[in-house]
Amino acid sequence: MGQNTRYDAVIIGGGHNGLITAAYLARAGKRAVVLERRHLVGGSAVTEEIFPGFKFSALSYVVSLLRPDVIRDLQLARHGLELLPLESTITPLPNGDYLMRGADHDETRRELYRHSPKDAEAYDDFGKLMYHLAFAMKHILDVVPPNPTSMRPRDLMGLLRFGRHFLDLPPEQFYALCKLMTMSAADFLDEWFETEPLKATMSASGIIGTFLGVRSPGTAYVLLHHYMGEIDGVFRAWGFAKGGTGAVSEAIASAARELGAEIRTEASVEQVIVKNGKAVGVALESGEEIHGRVVVTGVDPKLTFLKLVEPQHLPSDFLDAIRRFKIRGSSGKVNLALGELPNLTCLPGKGPHLRGAISISPSLDYMERAYDDAKYGNFSRHPYMDIIIPSMIDPGMAPPGKHVMSIFCQWAPFELNGGWNDEQREAFGDAVVNTISEFAPNLKNAIIHRHVVTPWDMQETYGLTQGNIFHGELSLHQLFFMRPTHPWANYRTPLKNLYQCGSGTHPGGGITGASGRLAALEILKDW
Amino acid sequence: MNDKYDAIVIGAGHNGLVTATYLAKAGLKVLVLERREMVGGAAVTEDVFPGFKFDTGAHCINRLHPTVISDLQLAKHGLELLPLDPAVFSPGLDADHLLLWRTPEVTVDSIGQLSEKDAKRWNGFAALVAKATGLLESIYSTPPDVLSKKKKDVWELLKMAGRLRRLGKQDMTEVLRVLPMTAVELLDEWFENDLLKGTLGAVGITGIHQGPMSAGTAFLFLHHQVGAKQGVLRAPLRARGGLGGLSRALESAARSAGVEIRTNAWVERIIAEAGATSGVALVDGEEIAGRRVISNADPSRTFCGLLDPFNLDPDFVRRVRNIKFKGVVARVNLALGELPNFSCLPGDGPHLRGLISISPSLKYLERAFDDAKYGELSREPYLEAVIPSSTDPSLAPDGKHVMSILVQYAPYNLRDGEWDDAKREDLGDRVVTTLAAYAPNIESAILHRQVLTPLDIEAVFGLTEGNIYHGEMTLDQLFFMRPVPGWARYRSPVEGLYLCGAGTHPGGGVTGTPGYNAAREILKDSK
Repeated sequence: MGQNTRYDAVIIGGGHNGLITAAYLARAGKRAVVLERRHLVGGSAVTEEIFPGFKFSALSYVVSLLRPDVIRDLQLARHGLELLPLESTITPLPNGDYLMRGADHDETRRELYRHSPKDAEAYDDFGKLMYHLAFAMKHILDVVPPNPTSMRPRDLMGLLRFGRHFLDLPPEQFYALCKLMTMSAADFLDEWFETEPLKATMSASGIIGTFLGVRSPGTAYVLLHHYMGEIDGVFRAWGFAKGGTGAVSEAIASAARELGAEIRTEASVEQVIVKNGKAVGVALESGEEIHGRVVVTGVDPKLTFLKLVEPQHLPSDFLDAIRRFKIRGSSGKVNLALGELPNLTCLPGKGPHLRGAISISPSLDYMERAYDDAKYGNFSRHPYMDIIIPSMIDPGMAPPGKHVMSIFCQWAPFELNGGWNDEQREAFGDAVVNTISEFAPNLKNAIIHRHVVTPWDMQETYGLTQGNIFHGELSLHQLFFMRPTHPWANYRTPLKNLYQCGSGTHPGGGITGASGRLAALEILKDW
Repeated sequence: MNDKYDAIVIGAGHNGLVTATYLAKAGLKVLVLERREMVGGAAVTEDVFPGFKFDTGAHCINRLHPTVISDLQLAKHGLELLPLDPAVFSPGLDADHLLLWRTPEVTVDSIGQLSEKDAKRWNGFAALVAKATGLLESIYSTPPDVLSKKKKDVWELLKMAGRLRRLGKQDMTEVLRVLPMTAVELLDEWFENDLLKGTLGAVGITGIHQGPMSAGTAFLFLHHQVGAKQGVLRAPLRARGGLGGLSRALESAARSAGVEIRTNAWVERIIAEAGATSGVALVDGEEIAGRRVISNADPSRTFCGLLDPFNLDPDFVRRVRNIKFKGVVARVNLALGELPNFSCLPGDGPHLRGLISISPSLKYLERAFDDAKYGELSREPYLEAVIPSSTDPSLAPDGKHVMSILVQYAPYNLRDGEWDDAKREDLGDRVVTTLAAYAPNIESAILHRQVLTPLDIEAVFGLTEGNIYHGEMTLDQLFFMRPVPGWARYRSPVEGLYLCGAGTHPGGGVTGTPGYNAAREILKDSK
């Protein structure tokens, strides 16, 4: 394709949000092209055969928040998306016991009763409250955040609708929501439960992707953010995409292509081209220029505004705000190819518990101590881990009789004392394997290959600034109309014809597709 | 029963006295009942060792509501406020030190000794603080009833939103952005010097079970600056004769307004029947009838201690029980034979007249908090000390001095067992050792030492879990959620029973604001 090519929309980054934006624009009859730096689409939602025969969801590994609108509009099921439920979560304990919660309500209740009758009673009420709160919050996932400083009728109406929506909630729910916005996950759960592993495991949802501990205020909201996925009736729980997370991206890409969007891999964007104060296209590293009526960035705000756009095209206070945007990476990923299944001391053998998640979160103190290490620039010696064995539910992921294990772990700070290098990466991998081995002693011998992804790798390989999986922390002052920065939370930017569609915009990270969809709708409004 | 009072105030803390005086001035017949032998609550000066007078509770005044000072003519009743200048002296671990003065230019010079860059940014930071505190001050009256559909309440809410908007677009977003932040985030955006950041950040953690890396600490920092002159941060006042001088002035104002005050009158319970109160019963069996009962005690003590929970909706009781107290403050009072001699600034000097803050860095404060998270006393605690005798010689014998030290963190709930004498002495030793690192002569200068653990503070001052604010000042327990959501307007579910203490909006500190707000609401109901 030559210099003369002119698209309606040029989208930087083939992550799931970029693909969704392209698909929606194509559906509206626009000529869209997605430019992906790597050889495959998906961004952080990719399946890679890292070792021959062993396929991994290299980074993002579960799907729960994908907006039902997106699934319907893009007919993702027809394009091959198939979700397999993760039915249980087991938390092995150092004393040889365990806590297991599953899809079967009565079984979970019996199990909780074994630990604490009080908690078993509270569990249902808690679930109901969270269901209602998530239901109330879900509303804001699908709208562009109104700008509270604007006097435009559209924003005023938006604010009013926002206000009405929340103030019309039953008082009990409204107040719970207010508290939830600012509390710590631990304090919030302490109000309900007494079983340590239960609180710790539930609190984990509050710290995923954040540089906060379970006792840090603000984590209760993140907890809720993760609850929202469980309620759409489409998938009742966290799910695993057949073929790995890359299959989600593949399905979206297939839908986009069918709708007429073009997708180019190994097309690394070096710069956004600006003429007369407007974005008019992008220049690739190869020197090629691709022009479009609008440019949409699916990469994170720091990468977009501090690297891809030359500073003279942006107001200095905007650049200051982007520089202040907090994007500290805190998670790591370890992918293991296994010759045999891990054998948990607390529940030996190959049971249904290995088809769900294994959570290394025995107590709140355990979680908090893991965070303490990171606060001072070290990776957790005993990290929190969320482990799944995809080959148990999708045998195609590994050769017969063998398995793949996906381990999400926290905390691994991007700013590590002494910096990340090969030695530190392996030391981190050792910490992860050693900690799991305390609960499954056969693990070390079962490992055939090990693939460790540090926040540094996430930045270098996957283009996530500082390795932040959410394109910016989900802290209160970086949400809603302040994401990524006020007043540019409406997917537009100070540079005319440049739009944002990534997780750095409202409603934030996770495979939701909400940002991509909302961005497309806003772009079409301006068309 | 004897003749009936219009209002009985439980507790002669400063807020109780303020409420009582306003009610009496409006013509009500008011009785104040105080458990101890003196009035003042946590604002008292006591002869702990012969000749040595200490402020055993609060040891300085952040900001007394100016309307209260003038309405109650406190100056006429003997109140003399002494501004501390310098406001803060903060010794560093190396030979450096920081002084914050009441004249911004002088402060800038002092900061310039540590960092030129920070000195340049001081005025900008002070301007931001002034805007944020201005907004806080404007909402420190009675919180709106957010869920009410009544026109009047909706109007109040809109007025509040209007005040926010009046700040202007840029300031409004900046203030909104800053409020939920952590002290570390806020200060890192402005300054580079550890000593400066530690000294400012310490304000954000005072009295709460949070470290400076916890969200909400930026708010607490700002809360304590409300009413301060621009550029003069962390600048408390003292009262001549100690804080007891303030209480004596309040007592005198109350009596001259016609308030009856009884000390050594320990209220055992609030008499309530059919959802309404009719008076109180004392420990000695006496019953006193009153049309209204106003509790200056904290919400937990009021609703779960003084009132039979049978009178309350279980849901309300659950909310009260869920209020976080988590006391973390201990007090050490030293009678000194000579002034401490700081290595970084030897000899006597103005630096000994203000607050002395042992807060060399934010990391130091966070590490002190780390210990407390796991139920342990900080190995190296944060200390805020004053030597009132340096400006008010009447407090100690000739040539001798009194030094009171606020110590953090000393968790109320210890991991291994309760507070006892050995732990109390260990606490005292740690404080002296910590101080000796900066002022080596301190050990030999000590004539007497009094140590108050959170347990002692609870016992002496009647503060639940020793929390100096009557409930933690964290974001989820503020404004319309203080003390509990739905009951933030000084009233309670029991008719005729009101709250006027620091457990209500806008919270703790020697401000008189809750007492002032409560009086206004009570009088509204009396019309």
